[in-house]
Amino acid sequence: MYEEPYRWIEAVGNRRQYLDEQFAKGSPVVALAYADGILMLTVSRGTPKLYEIYDRIALGGMGHPADLEKLRFSLLEMAHVEGFNRSPSDVTGARLMKYGLAPTIKQAFEEIYKAPFIAKILLAELGVKPERDLFLSINYDGNFEESLGWAALGATSSVQGRMRRYVESQPAFAQASLAQAVELALCTWAVGSLAQAASESPAAESSSPRVSDEQTEGDGSSLPDKAALLAHVRQTVAEKSLECVLLERRGPGSAKYRALRPAELGGLLPPAVSEPAAT
Amino acid sequence: MGMQGDFFQLLKEQGYQFGNPVAAAAGMEVPTATTILALKYRDGVLVAGDRRATAGNMVMYDRTDKVLEIDRYSVMAIAGVPATAYEMVRVLEHSFKYYRRTQLQELSFEGKLRAVSKLLKENVPAALAGTGAVVPVFAGYDHEQESAKIYFYDILGAEFEAVEYAVSGSGSPTIRGILHYVNTWGPQPLATLPEEQATIQALRLLSSAAEFDSATGGVNRELNLYPVVKLIKASGVQTIPDADLKRLHESEVLRGR
Repeated sequence: MYEEPYRWIEAVGNRRQYLDEQFAKGSPVVALAYADGILMLTVSRGTPKLYEIYDRIALGGMGHPADLEKLRFSLLEMAHVEGFNRSPSDVTGARLMKYGLAPTIKQAFEEIYKAPFIAKILLAELGVKPERDLFLSINYDGNFEESLGWAALGATSSVQGRMRRYVESQPAFAQASLAQAVELALCTWAVGSLAQAASESPAAESSSPRVSDEQTEGDGSSLPDKAALLAHVRQTVAEKSLECVLLERRGPGSAKYRALRPAELGGLLPPAVSEPAAT
Repeated sequence: MGMQGDFFQLLKEQGYQFGNPVAAAAGMEVPTATTILALKYRDGVLVAGDRRATAGNMVMYDRTDKVLEIDRYSVMAIAGVPATAYEMVRVLEHSFKYYRRTQLQELSFEGKLRAVSKLLKENVPAALAGTGAVVPVFAGYDHEQESAKIYFYDILGAEFEAVEYAVSGSGSPTIRGILHYVNTWGPQPLATLPEEQATIQALRLLSSAAEFDSATGGVNRELNLYPVVKLIKASGVQTIPDADLKRLHESEVLRGR
């Protein structure tokens, strides 16, 4: 029955709705360039969501762990074979995205008899110079985009739009210290997480049924203040764990990826998150 | 397969071949013109190598780096055919990284050793043909046992652990005797030497090798060329800067000033 064009479009539409629901409970991922490199951060429960792909490339994902694993392995294979056969500097985020991820994800999405990948992926690439730091993100339908300075994954484009609005309302962070970058990333994460929680609740559902355009919802409500955002982080961290990885421009050796250990990350958290609640 | 994190297997599936035998001229000797040494000192392992590359009687290059870092905690010093040796290092480097990134844990020290001998075994036909023999010394920090270790190999891939020191290359017979003497009857055993003393010994040993072996390059002060000396400690691999080598060479190796 999918041979008819209308049916096919309808099936793809159903697929979008199904997939959007799958991400609603996921944790947003935030990546941003700071003074000494790139930071990527999320909150996870059990399975990690941030990974090392190559010497200067990190991956952050949302979605089903098995799908993420599959895509991660295909990226690792591509990157390492390429890095060995050509050279490590020929392994770039853009090529991994364009030739590695996008065709596979798009094909799986449009083959309506098969299961799509339940995955959104963000690649952060540390440039040789700071101005060449690059962020690439891909949606479950194979649409991808490049950005400079920062990028984030959220359950829907309206959630991502809110995160964008928050980051753009903040002062420039290209020269920020690691601690400042962690705070900004945490707040951005909280904006995304709160937006997802709000669209999940039935009240929000009835008042604005599935607005997926970022302008309509994005401009509608004001953004929470920093204290509220950090309070949300603090609440979440009590039951889940913060995950934070770095691509350090001046790190030793050729591999620049480093996962922050819990103790180290603890020392970088803003007091509103790390200290016990004031009574 | 990818799921097992075996990069070498992945390469082979893609049609990559390592260590192809090429018929060599009859009677060709194993070319190991170089001197490399590794010794245990107080804080870990020191690995050093001269920088000369030769082809027969000709000096090809005086800035070769024969002590190669494979990752933050392991080093391979190479004697033998450079083309094969560098290729081995590239395969190892990618293998260790690939394993870490796919399996989300470091390859164990044992696993690294196995990877080296596996490559040497693959290389046996080329080694026997005389066109690809490599005799490496592998040194690294074993996190499980919390100590730095030295292993040396023959061209067929047999692996031996060195208790105190290991040498390889054409200049090695000269310094093997010296190492034995110094370690047994010197003022103190090598394993108790502090960093600077160990470095001085390495420089003296390489100078001795260069004295008797034309294929080992000595220090060239005019061109500011010094051997490569690396230290492996719990904190990782560290290279001793040329400026320090220069200072130690002038004050502790040269006579009559």
